[in-house]
Amino acid sequence: MEEAVSQSIILSSVDKLVAWGRKNSIWPFHFGLSCCFVEMATSMTPKYDLARFGAEVIRGTPREADVMIIAGTVFVKMAPVIKRLHEQMMEPRWIISMGSCANSGGMYDIYSVVQGVDKFMPVDVYVTGCPPRPDAFMEGLLLLRDSVGKEKRPLSWTIGEQGVLKPAKISMKEQKRAQRKEMTTLRPPDEI
Amino acid sequence: MIPDLLAALRSRFGNDIVEPETTRDETPTFWTPQGKVLDLLIYLKTGLSQPFSMMYDLTAHDMRAYKKDLNGHSRFDFQLVYHLFSFERNAFLRLKVGLEGEYPSHPTATHIWPSLNWYEREVYDMFGIRFEGHPRLRRILMPSNWEGHPLRKEHPARATEMGPFRLWDEKQDAEQKALQFDPAEWGLQTQSEDSDFLFLNIGPQHPGTHGVLRVILQLDGEEIVDAIPEIGFHHRGAEKMGERQSWHTYIPYTDRIDYLGGVMNNLAYLLAVEKLAGITVPPRAQTIRVMLCELFRIASHLVWYGTFAQDVGQLSPVFYMFTDREKVFSIVEAITGGRMHPNWFRIGGVAQDLPAGWDGLVRQFIEYFPRKLKEYDKMVMRNSIFKARTKGIGIFTLQEAIEWGVTGPGLRACGLEWDMRKKRPYSGYENFDFEVPVASHGDCYDRAVVRVEEMRQSLRIIDQCLKNMPEGPYKSSHPLTTPPIKKHTMQDIETLINHFLNVSWGPVIPPGEAMSCIEATKGWNGYYLLSDGNTSPYRVRVRAPSFAHMQMLPYISRGYTVADLLSILGAMDFVLADVDR
Repeated sequence: MEEAVSQSIILSSVDKLVAWGRKNSIWPFHFGLSCCFVEMATSMTPKYDLARFGAEVIRGTPREADVMIIAGTVFVKMAPVIKRLHEQMMEPRWIISMGSCANSGGMYDIYSVVQGVDKFMPVDVYVTGCPPRPDAFMEGLLLLRDSVGKEKRPLSWTIGEQGVLKPAKISMKEQKRAQRKEMTTLRPPDEI
Repeated sequence: MIPDLLAALRSRFGNDIVEPETTRDETPTFWTPQGKVLDLLIYLKTGLSQPFSMMYDLTAHDMRAYKKDLNGHSRFDFQLVYHLFSFERNAFLRLKVGLEGEYPSHPTATHIWPSLNWYEREVYDMFGIRFEGHPRLRRILMPSNWEGHPLRKEHPARATEMGPFRLWDEKQDAEQKALQFDPAEWGLQTQSEDSDFLFLNIGPQHPGTHGVLRVILQLDGEEIVDAIPEIGFHHRGAEKMGERQSWHTYIPYTDRIDYLGGVMNNLAYLLAVEKLAGITVPPRAQTIRVMLCELFRIASHLVWYGTFAQDVGQLSPVFYMFTDREKVFSIVEAITGGRMHPNWFRIGGVAQDLPAGWDGLVRQFIEYFPRKLKEYDKMVMRNSIFKARTKGIGIFTLQEAIEWGVTGPGLRACGLEWDMRKKRPYSGYENFDFEVPVASHGDCYDRAVVRVEEMRQSLRIIDQCLKNMPEGPYKSSHPLTTPPIKKHTMQDIETLINHFLNVSWGPVIPPGEAMSCIEATKGWNGYYLLSDGNTSPYRVRVRAPSFAHMQMLPYISRGYTVADLLSILGAMDFVLADVDR
């Protein structure tokens, strides 16, 4: 009896349970701007298989989605549309900025491109690359997943303190520096 | 051919109306005064034997800052350049018109070629040149409330020169309001005799549009009465970018124009640069280029194949096809180090030699892939639902295709066996044995048939590259090759200087103009470059196939249903970056 109980009962607080649920079912919005979107779509195909992290359920409408991935260049003509789409998403909602263009304009310092989506929207995770490989995008998603699990949100607007407490953003460049410094022998480009 | 053509035109219009110019790419080029250009265009299209039936491109140059001699011709403030193509002659023709004044105007030619509609709007949007008599002259790429015309020399290029971007609430509302569609503005009726029309907005954010494209449909029930594509949401200023990058550092920007075509874009650009510079590319470099281009053709067609099947309701093929695309990318990555945008071709060759063991990877793929293609035939092409959704849908005839500037698989699906790799071979394609697949009905299904068969032919070409890869250098020894072959630089002063200058300032390409035209994944892709003998181009014109194809959308979707529109879009195989550049 005791054994059966210990296998089927988990003791947790409600907010931790909700956070656990949230972090394991982050549904992305079907939204793409340019080249990066192709790599994002690739991450859902069998070789990469985003379904392992509960994030393969692409939603066609912003009202059903949890995360908006700004996959591509943010064009001046497109910016008001992006903002409107973001406003239509329900809380809790997150944004991943995917690729150099969305991060900072990247190589497109040109009249028709906004120099980074964070000029008019909050960003939770930045993924580098032009375009980032599907693996890099997935690393970004996992970072978001961790951070969502640690977020503190009120269970309702009458219970507890209001406001969202997000964990501080971490710099992967700093974190990986030691490991990268150890990489002294790289595979030469003249062999496969 | 140029003397014959010149004689024919001069005998009809008089000596001072047609003035020939010699250009570096040896395309027949004629100057004509503004008043005569329409007569000349009509004659070239309909009066001439072996006419120039396709309007390939129209663009303009802002010449006010051009300081070099123009080969004896007088300099105008602006010049308009028409590019025509004749299938009978297998030749391009370039017609130039000089315009004077700050904001000149010019008569429209949309009644001669309907395809000029968007090209004239683009020239107006980018240069502020007005076309008198144009049915709807308004901006096409930039937002309607944009100030200035980006490709004029006084317009700033960098976003960082124009002040930080802000989007406050009132601006957001104003922008959203500007996006509202008003049927009257487009001259559309809101009702017919017996029914009210519904205006349906699709995009710029919609899963079926493959990117940021907006289409507004005028519907009578489920039937499309008219469609208005609105583009420009993906305009990345690729042409203006060319005017500030060096000839060498512009290469990565080309990768991102048809972003599924990868290095094939590099090739289109470099062929034009090499024509200007007079560089002959060694056979090994040519063959490496061909092999990578064909690998990218397969990768691009696989994306199209999967997403097209998905558009018409088959969810699983895309998963198989993206898996195979990863196989192509594993080869691309082993050779170039990159995936989608390897940026791997260089002026005069490629970035480096093939790595040891490349042949094993390619051989594996050649053995593996035909079996999969057969499987996909069963899965997609012979599927009855797929056939029902695509056969007899979105039909255009060969005549219409030429009229609207359709190129590539869309043209071949109308029965014309025209492939630039065969008809005007470049980069050594004349040495390869392959067939040009054609189909006859010109509907969505036939466009699919052509592309599927093209993958098999690409595989044949790759197989021939594998078996006959020439030995020799992977870069030309021409001094303008960038960067020059490194092994010489530490030994003699001449190549050391070349290396230093070409890498730090970039190569100085001699003044002149040249155009390239290749059979890219989507159709004919061409770069038309104008050099004033500097380290960066004076003007880069990117003629992208998807722009012309997208313009035809209303014409081929009228009378079909909304569901058919997605088949038509899917079969078109466009990339928004290729439409808007």
